Amino acid sequence: MNDIELTQLWSRLEPNARERARIETRTFEWIEAGETSLLAEWLNFIKVDPLPGLAFAAMAAVALLMLTPLGWVASAMLR
Amino acid sequence: MAAVLTMPFAPADAWTLAGFFKALASRLGGDAAPLDEPAIQRLVERARAGDRDAAQRLYRQNVDRVFRTVRGMLRSNAEAEDVTQDAMLAALTSLDRYSPRDDARFAAWVASVAVNTARRRFRRRRPELTDTGELPDVPDEQAQPERDVDAARERAALLRALAELAPAEREIVSLRYGAELNASEIAKLVKLEPANVRKILERTRERLGARIESLLKGTLA
Repeated sequence: MNDIELTQLWSRLEPNARERARIETRTFEWIEAGETSLLAEWLNFIKVDPLPGLAFAAMAAVALLMLTPLGWVASAMLR
Repeated sequence: MAAVLTMPFAPADAWTLAGFFKALASRLGGDAAPLDEPAIQRLVERARAGDRDAAQRLYRQNVDRVFRTVRGMLRSNAEAEDVTQDAMLAALTSLDRYSPRDDARFAAWVASVAVNTARRRFRRRRPELTDTGELPDVPDEQAQPERDVDAARERAALLRALAELAPAEREIVSLRYGAELNASEIAKLVKLEPANVRKILERTRERLGARIESLLKGTLA
């Protein structure tokens, strides 16, 4: 096999349509996420879907407040 | 997060003819025609200045090349997907580190990012042997059965033959035939003299070619 034939054969390793779409979606989601602040993400979420957005925001706030004391209690119980 | 919930194409694009063809081109394999190096350099400059369309075009010019390069070095399509995604993300978010003054083509720089990403994966997970004789794991909706059977056999033969090479040889042939780099560009990446790379390529090409031909003549079982 010569160089040209091997180069052509290597094209068999290219991604299929679904793999290509997954890679592109994930790559640009990461780039977009990196360019967007957390606050902007939440505000946009609330703007797009107000009720679930507010519910998630409230749950996240409660979780943030509760996790640290719960961690203390758990670690005290394990001792 | 909202970004994760959005569609891969901007809504403003989705309902225009240009947006439709852009999406179609992406699904079918990116920009059809490869651009020459000056055009690539102009895209790099625009992407550095924050031009999203330029970044997407750079991505599409390189993504298939990166995938077929790392696929030759890794053991599954899933790993190649992850490494391709990580490498393209690293390349597009660190364009400032690329300098054409070092006499490096943009494709060679992206290949170096991809190889380093794949090497990190090697270090995390051993042994790193490639799968052998596998068939495509996801059926393609646009598949043409007869042509695809041949393509799958050739692909399986190539992967099996690659699995029998040493990791360093696999890396060098993947850079030559997957990334389409020349011996000097490969030499810089693998830290060898170009003459040594040429020797390794010559020797490995003969072994690889003979093995693939014998596998294709045989049953591949």
